Parts: sequence; C-alpha cells; structure tokens
Amino acid sequence: MTSDPWYDEQKRLTPDRLQSVIFPLTRWGRHGYEEEPVRAFLTEVQAEMVRLINERASLWQEVQRLRRRILGKENGNDAILFGKDDAHVHAVRILSSAQRTADRYVADAQAYSGRLTEEARVRRDEIMRQAQQHADMLLEEARTRARAAAVAAIDRDGLPPQTDQERRAVQAELAYLRTFGEVYRQHLKIYTEDVLRTIEDWESKERAAAREIPRGSS
Amino acid sequence: MDIARLKRSFAAIAMHGDEVPLHFYADLFLKHPETRQLFPVSMQAQRAHLVQALATIVGSVGNVDELSAFLRDLGRGHRKFGALAEHYEAVGDSLLATFAHFSAAEWDAGLAADWSAAYQLIAGVMVAAAQADEQRHPAYWTGTVIARERLAFDITALTVRTQPRLDFVPGQSVAIESPARPRLWRYYSMANAPRSDGTVTFHVRLIDGGAVSMALTAGDVVGTELRIGPPAGALRLDTGSARAVLLVAGSTGLAPLKAMLEQLADQAQPPAVHLFFGARAADGLYDLPSLEKMAAARPWLTLVPVVSAGPGPGRTGELPDVVCGYADWSQYDAYLAGPSEMVTDCARRLAAAGTPAAQIHVEDFGWSEP
Repeated sequence: MTSDPWYDEQKRLTPDRLQSVIFPLTRWGRHGYEEEPVRAFLTEVQAEMVRLINERASLWQEVQRLRRRILGKENGNDAILFGKDDAHVHAVRILSSAQRTADRYVADAQAYSGRLTEEARVRRDEIMRQAQQHADMLLEEARTRARAAAVAAIDRDGLPPQTDQERRAVQAELAYLRTFGEVYRQHLKIYTEDVLRTIEDWESKERAAAREIPRGSS
Repeated sequence: MDIARLKRSFAAIAMHGDEVPLHFYADLFLKHPETRQLFPVSMQAQRAHLVQALATIVGSVGNVDELSAFLRDLGRGHRKFGALAEHYEAVGDSLLATFAHFSAAEWDAGLAADWSAAYQLIAGVMVAAAQADEQRHPAYWTGTVIARERLAFDITALTVRTQPRLDFVPGQSVAIESPARPRLWRYYSMANAPRSDGTVTFHVRLIDGGAVSMALTAGDVVGTELRIGPPAGALRLDTGSARAVLLVAGSTGLAPLKAMLEQLADQAQPPAVHLFFGARAADGLYDLPSLEKMAAARPWLTLVPVVSAGPGPGRTGELPDVVCGYADWSQYDAYLAGPSEMVTDCARRLAAAGTPAAQIHVEDFGWSEP
C-alpha cells in the first residue's frame, strides 16, 4: 500500500462528493463556472486517481504473488506464502514508492520555484510600468518648463536677458533645472540599482538553496 | 523469434502504464545500486523516456534501417550519461524481470527466450555504435562559461570555452548539463559559426521553474564547468544550393539561424537572405541591435523584425502570417527554428504556397533527445 506523507485519509474524494460538488457561478451575470474552483477540483480528482491506480497496482501485484504461491503449492513446492522472490518484489515496491515520493518533492519544488519566478516577472513588469509612468511624468514636466521658458523668451522679443538681475534669475532657473535633473537621475539610478540588487540576491539565494540539495542518489 | 508475439506481449505489459518503468528502475537499482547515480533525483521524465524508447523500438521492428539508426543514435547518446557496456547486461536482466513480472501467467520459457534474444540484438547495436563513437569523440565535452550577457530580461547569452574543441555544423545543437542540476540535460543550439578560438555561444531563455535554464542564467554562472554532449540535429545549410535563403526565427530559435547566417556571411558570394525574427512583444526581440548592425553592413541581408502584438520595430502579426504574406518563397531555401507550433505551422503554409518540401528545413533533434 502506498503511504504518502501528503496523503490524508480524511480528505479523500468520495463518489458522494463527485455527486454533490457545487461550483460557484461566475459573477456579473455571465454563464459558466468560476475557473479557479473547477481547476482545484480537477487537481483533487487527479490526485485521487493516482492514488487509486497505485493501490490497484499494488493489489494486482499481491494477487500475482499469491497466485504464484498457490501454483507452486500445486506443483508440490513448499507452501510458504512469502519466499525470497517475494522479498525482492516487496523491496521493489518499497523503492518504487520512495521514488514516487522523491519525484513528488522535486515536482513540488519545481512548481514552487516556477511560481517564484513568475511572481518576480509580474513584479518586474509592474516596476517597469511604474518607472515608465514616472519617466513620462518627468519628461512632461520638463517639456512644460521648456515651453514656459521659450514663451518667456519670446515675450522679451527674443532678446537675451539684458540686466544683471534678469541674467541672475535665468542662471538661478538653469541651476535649479540642472539640480532637479541631477537629483532625479540619482533617484532613478538608486532605484534601478536596488531593483537589480534584489534580483541578484534572489538568484544567489536560489543558487545557495540548490547547492544544499544532495546530488545523485536519493 | 516470434515478433508478433513480442508485440502482443509488449502491448499487454504497457497496459500497466507508469508501474512498468517504476518497477524496472527499482529492480535495476536494487540489483545494481551503482547505476542509480547515472540518473537524476526525480525519475518522472526518465520513466516516460524509457517507455517512449521501448515503444519506438517495438513499433519499428519491421523497419530495420529506421530501427538501427534509432538504436545507434540511442547508443551514442547514452555515452554522455556515463553508460558503459557492462550496464547493458544489468539493464537487460532488469528489463526481462520486469516484463516477466507484468506478464504474469503469459510468461513462459519461449517468451523469455524471445525477449532475451531481442534485447541482445538491441543492446548489441547500441554498444557497437557507442564503441565506434569512442574512437572519434569524448563521451562529453567540458565547457567553461567565460562570459554571460543578459540580452533581454529573460534571455541570456552564455559564451563557453570547450575542452577539447567542439566541432559542429551551424544549425546543430548540444545537450548541456549544469553541475547545479546534475543528470538533467537540455538541448541548446550554438548561436555562432565555428570560431577560430573554439568558443561557442548559447542563447538561454529563463523558463519559470525550469531547473536547467535557471542554473544557466544565474548571476554567478561564469566559471562554471558544464558538460556538453555531442553536436546533434539535422538543421544545416544546403551548401550545394544556389537559391536565395529564407530564415524564420521565433524567439531563441534565432540561435541556430544566426549561426547559419554567420556561415553565409563567410561565403565569397552570399545569396540574398531574408531573416524574419519574431517574438511576442518588442522586448522579446533580444538580439536585434547586433542583427541590425549585421544587416546594415551587408546589402544581401534583409532583416524583418516581427512582433505578434503591440508596438514593435518592424511588422506586427503572427510570424507565419507575416512571412507568407511578405513574398513568394517558392524559389527559396527556407530554414525555420523556434517554438514547434510556429515551425510546424510555417512549414505547412510555405509548402501550401508552393515551396517544395525538399527546400524547407526545420530544426529536428532526431532521436537524440535525452
């Protein structure tokens, strides 16, 4: 018999549940079921089928073993119910079960890491979208200022600022814009570097975790 | 040897599904524990491979040429996994024990002798091919990663120096194993024509949860020693042809076609070449700057970037639609690589539009898929 650690006798799917399962209908008056619960249920059905198939295979093997014993007895051999060959078949069964458990752990780990990278991808897209918005906003602001500056220049009949006072004001404005640009550049740089660092941290953690997995035989 | 009976016997055994390979490997590992280290931790994919290989062998028993080609490739392909001649005997024992176990009452001395004889034949061809290959190639090449360049968010170019030198034809691929994920091999195409310094470049797409691709694209991959299998795959330039060339690359399918493009560029008089490079969105056109540079310097090369949706630098639409709507390709040699659905669809439509089948070349790993 399989005795999987994730296996819970209480939660087993019964024919009754198949008969009585209710899927929530989609909202907003559309026809059909919510996809998520249906998928979850299918996963459950699949797990149950795997269990049943495994059990069936074990039982089938047991029947074969007993049949061979009986045939052996009829042929005048010792009527033992558990011989050396049976011990090997039994060992094969135990190892098979252990292999299935290992496969399941690897599949779970893989699925988990898949979800992590998928999340990272979604977050990256979100960060990129925000950065793009931010950049667009800065650009728009700069354009507005440039337009205002041009209008101001035209207002003075295109002449360069004459008085010291005017010149100082324009220089101050220029210095302000320069600082403004510099600050935002720094800001964006730190922001981007931070994002990259986070991604690299993730990667090295992933590598470190991977190294802890013993290699070769399980 | 009663072949019809063997086929019937196999069909009955195969009814037991995953239980059969599960039993086989458990039997093998119990009787010969030293063989366990030749396999990955998770045996799920391995079991499917075994059943598939067995089904192919049994299914093509009537076609001796096809079967022996398959078995020779299989034998050569198993060298990189560390399979030795003595392992074949152990495998044969466990295979027969497994068949006997699942055949139950059907199993008799005649069937056992037939299966045993069939296995001897199969193993004989595989071992002979492996031994012949030993004279020419190592079981695997050691590839040290010397550079890593991120070409797009999820695509990384790895440049690798191999030991000994890896001789290949542009368009070919190799199976790669990373020390971070032992016993897991994945195929990647060389993205360059052979270089004088012997280095090769691969384009690796990060697949969510993909064990090997994640190991290969990790930040500290430079310096890693990879294992590299023998060059495989049937995609290659028809150098005897004088026709113009159509290259259609979907995503990292660009790699083998870029290698072929470099090969074309080395010719004294390159033919006219159209390269369609497609991706879902603009940021998937990962190698565009280098391709644009190449096209700008070479009047015989026309580059058409394609995105299936959204704004892009070239055309918008599904790659096969854009390619087939662009021109009449019936006088061209067409080479296609990328997602298998795109490749199949594009090949079908080119053929329907008049390109002779002999002029349509697609990426094909043959029998060598690990």
